Amino acid sequence: MAPTKGSARGKGGDSKSSKPSTLSSASRVSKKKDVKRPPPQEVKSKARTEPKQLKKTKKREYTEEELDLPKLNMITPAGVVKPKGKKKGKTFVDDQEGMMTILAMVNAEKEGQIESKMMKARQLEEIREARRKEAEARQAQKKSKLEEAKASIRQKRKNKNESKQDSNADTTAPSMNDSSSKSKGKRKSVSFA
Amino acid sequence: MRQLTEDETKTLFAKLAHYTGRSINNLIAPPAGSEETDAKDRPVFRVSGNRVYYLRLSIANLATSIPRANLLSLGTCVGKFTKTGKFRIHITALDIIAPHARYKVWIKSNGEAPYMYGGNVVKAHVGRWSEDIPEHSGVVVFNTSDTPLGFGVTARSTAEIRKLDPTAIAVFRAISENI
Repeated sequence: MAPTKGSARGKGGDSKSSKPSTLSSASRVSKKKDVKRPPPQEVKSKARTEPKQLKKTKKREYTEEELDLPKLNMITPAGVVKPKGKKKGKTFVDDQEGMMTILAMVNAEKEGQIESKMMKARQLEEIREARRKEAEARQAQKKSKLEEAKASIRQKRKNKNESKQDSNADTTAPSMNDSSSKSKGKRKSVSFA
Repeated sequence: MRQLTEDETKTLFAKLAHYTGRSINNLIAPPAGSEETDAKDRPVFRVSGNRVYYLRLSIANLATSIPRANLLSLGTCVGKFTKTGKFRIHITALDIIAPHARYKVWIKSNGEAPYMYGGNVVKAHVGRWSEDIPEHSGVVVFNTSDTPLGFGVTARSTAEIRKLDPTAIAVFRAISENI
């Protein structure tokens, strides 16, 4: 505090007739702290009034955008924008129209979901049905093949039996026992032939 | 006690729409000719604590004279909001929802007891189904005399259920507050 006071006085002293005032002040002050004061006082007072300092204050006029401050360093977090002039807190829905619109929206959404579910189920069912039909067809084919094979074998056997019977009829000597000879039919025929 | 906010209304209706069809509109705006057509006495939803009640506006207005701490319940409790903001339907809502049910399942009398004691509904106990019910959709379970018993979720679609054996589960019990 003391140095500023002194400086002001110093200035005033300069502007007016210098000698008597300075002398009086000097005489008053000099009693307390005579040696220390004058040099720093003068330097500081000059610095404040100088045009250089004024220029510095002008330099400070940056806007926040110019400074490129990271957004997260703000008091309000980035992305949170408080709408001005809007009601604080909860917004209630109590009128029928508002409720109806919400209900209509929800219903439409729900029906869409159900529809898609049904479509999906139907498609899956179709695929399943097609697969089942294919499997059935394959099964039927297999069965028919088997039947065919069976039939052909039976046919063969019949033919053989017929031919055998013919041969048996040709041979004058009847076989000893037909049932036992069946398995050994070939051998016998070979041996007898 | 207060009105529902927009988000709350949406969650509530979404949950109700799980079990009901379009006729749920009648809950909010009763059709002309019914008793509750008076605009001053229309049915409303109110939240007290975290529970949602369905009641007439006149009763709701009367209830404002009771301090919050002293107000235990009013109207019909539909369900409650969980702390995560979801909605859970209570069995007390059955009377409100049953007349507007989208899908219904009627169970035979021999299946009533297992269902009421917290079991699922097996195919053998099902008496009748609504047509074309998709998989995992909400149904209201009725007994043979058309009394609503509770809620359920279908395990299979109607088409698939026909192929299943009688002991297979047809409907999962959804809200297990029956007994």
